[in-house]
Amino acid sequence: MSGPLVRGLALVVGGAAVLALGALSRVPYTSADAEGGLLRLSWRARGERVTECRRLTPEELEALPLHMRRPEACEGRIAPYRLRVSIDGAVVADTVIRPAGARQDRPIYVLRDIALAPGEYAVDVAFAREGAPAHLALQAVVEIRPGEIALVTYDPARNALVLRTAQDRERSGS
Amino acid sequence: MKSLYSITTAVRRAAWNAMTRVDGWVNRLYGSRYNPLYHSGAIVIGLLLVLVATGLYLLLFYRVGAPWASVARITDQAWLGRWIRGVHRFASDAAVVAAAVHAFRMYAQHRSWGPRALAWVSGLALLAVIFVCGWTGYVLVWDVQAQLLAAEGARILDVLPIFSEPLGRTFVGERPLPSAFFFLNLFAHIALPIGVGLLVWIHVSRLARPVLLPPRRVLWGVVAALVALAIVWPVGMAPVADPLRIPERVPLDAFFAFWLPLTRRLPVGAVWALGGALALVAVLAPWWTRPQREARPGKAEVDARRCTGCEQCVHDCPYDAITMVEREPGDPRPGLVALVNPDLCVSCGICIGSCAPMAVGLPGWTGREELAVAREFLGREPRAAGQVVVVGCEWSAATVESALGGAPLIPVPCTGHVHTSMIEHLLRGGAGGVLVAACPEWDCRGREGGKWLVQRMYHGREADLKPRVDRRRVRVVEASAGEPAVLRAALEEFAASVAALADGDADGDGRTAADGGAAADGDLDAPDGDARGDVSLELEGVAS
Repeated sequence: MSGPLVRGLALVVGGAAVLALGALSRVPYTSADAEGGLLRLSWRARGERVTECRRLTPEELEALPLHMRRPEACEGRIAPYRLRVSIDGAVVADTVIRPAGARQDRPIYVLRDIALAPGEYAVDVAFAREGAPAHLALQAVVEIRPGEIALVTYDPARNALVLRTAQDRERSGS
Repeated sequence: MKSLYSITTAVRRAAWNAMTRVDGWVNRLYGSRYNPLYHSGAIVIGLLLVLVATGLYLLLFYRVGAPWASVARITDQAWLGRWIRGVHRFASDAAVVAAAVHAFRMYAQHRSWGPRALAWVSGLALLAVIFVCGWTGYVLVWDVQAQLLAAEGARILDVLPIFSEPLGRTFVGERPLPSAFFFLNLFAHIALPIGVGLLVWIHVSRLARPVLLPPRRVLWGVVAALVALAIVWPVGMAPVADPLRIPERVPLDAFFAFWLPLTRRLPVGAVWALGGALALVAVLAPWWTRPQREARPGKAEVDARRCTGCEQCVHDCPYDAITMVEREPGDPRPGLVALVNPDLCVSCGICIGSCAPMAVGLPGWTGREELAVAREFLGREPRAAGQVVVVGCEWSAATVESALGGAPLIPVPCTGHVHTSMIEHLLRGGAGGVLVAACPEWDCRGREGGKWLVQRMYHGREADLKPRVDRRRVRVVEASAGEPAVLRAALEEFAASVAALADGDADGDGRTAADGGAAADGDLDAPDGDARGDVSLELEGVAS
């Protein structure tokens, strides 16, 4: 090949490589999830603390240094909570959530996504210590639109679960 | 295990074949000196510098309190901000491509195990840090791609029992994202390049004279191409992240977010298993494909009795594997002696060609053995008489039979191996000319084999080709394995010029190739009194 032809070809190949770089840096990706919507549950709860104490035996007390001798040894943890979610009367989640931390003494964190087709749903969320009446609850009719997320979260000011959607936000202008 | 070895070896061989083919095409377009594939490693470092320079500009205008809006304002600066942001982004993409090309080449060329393992592993770590750096950079924009990256990253990381609360809750819209989040991201995005610098230092720590930047023409060519792209096809703004909406159409950067569409469909455990398996394969691939123990060349050795302490091998070793030490007690010879550190020696054999007294070399392979090979070759190869003999690097076009056109070949693992006395010996033994077929200088497996050979032959570097040798009968040709036509053409042209010399000799004074040609040029030097002159006498005994 002659010099000018090689130089021209080199420019074309180099240009094509650079254009390929530019194209690959913004590949359009369409998320199939956006055809439907999501009911998202996300909050942090400071669960009820459970403390279990027992009296130490005289031998156990004897084994302890003087300054550490207390008649009772107590261990505390946060009680596990049950999350129950029903949609249009059907239970879609019923699970026990344990507190965070190796000793289960940290708060309870809830983070769940439930995929839903667009439409209106009667949502019932209950969050309670096992065997106890609901500590936090929400009953609402939720309209799910394509690509939107309805967020159920905790409002500390009202001490209640609340629902947030993009539509509400747009209505309120915030 | 045997079958795994044969599979992995076949994969590596296929990689090498593909690489040499592409190299050949690119060499034809850009020439081997400016072939960007040969400079891929140095291009990465050049691009990292571009990233630092453009990043400093972006830092002036970025606001952690208004991430998307501040990037949008930068993008609105039509004269500067827009293309600087584009170059910043494209340079990061190009750095990933260049790093991947570099890793692929090192793997295909068997340059990733043994003492080079440190460079291989640190190189993979570098690539990983570049990825993390890129992800933090994309999150800073806080557009829909950032939202996907952050949410998916949090989902993957949340299985690790090290966070006090799930990271994923940060991005769900419970509360506005705090500026502290973007500040931390920005801090990581700026601090990580310091780690990159440290890793680069480790990466090249076992190299003498590491090449940290490509030739200027390549570097500025790459930068100009990225600037042109940023101007012609600027990076736009994707919609701002919205935690209450699922991003629908997202412009993904395939170089940094290629994994997103796959991992979003997989459970977190599978993502970790897949990522761990890929990382393991990447780290271990060189060990699976390295030659079996008996096929590996031994480490270089020094014959202390012959070492004159000239230090040339220390200067020439591309891996800093040779040092000068005190001689053994009782050794009456003066001065220091060379010592090879086997932990650093990659068995490239470049020290063979550097040692005038032929004291250094691989086990059973010093300049002395090369002379014996030349003598044996001349004895059994009738085509050598008066004809051109090719001394060819096993990684060059000399491996392709069609490139030789029937010329006799002495294969060598690297032309840096070649002791200049071997070339002289071939000419003295009756060869009409010697053509050394080297791989391109910037692609030498031993890093500096071809470079030192040329200096020894034409620029007086020890151990130099003696001035008495007729340079018209010696030629060095660079031709990669993907360029057999280049070697073939050079060989034909050289053979014709050698034939013309022979005709001239027949018409003229009748001098032979080895001793007369140089004299005819007035290029004859008296044999020097250095160690090499002494060794030549000894060699008679070795070769016979």
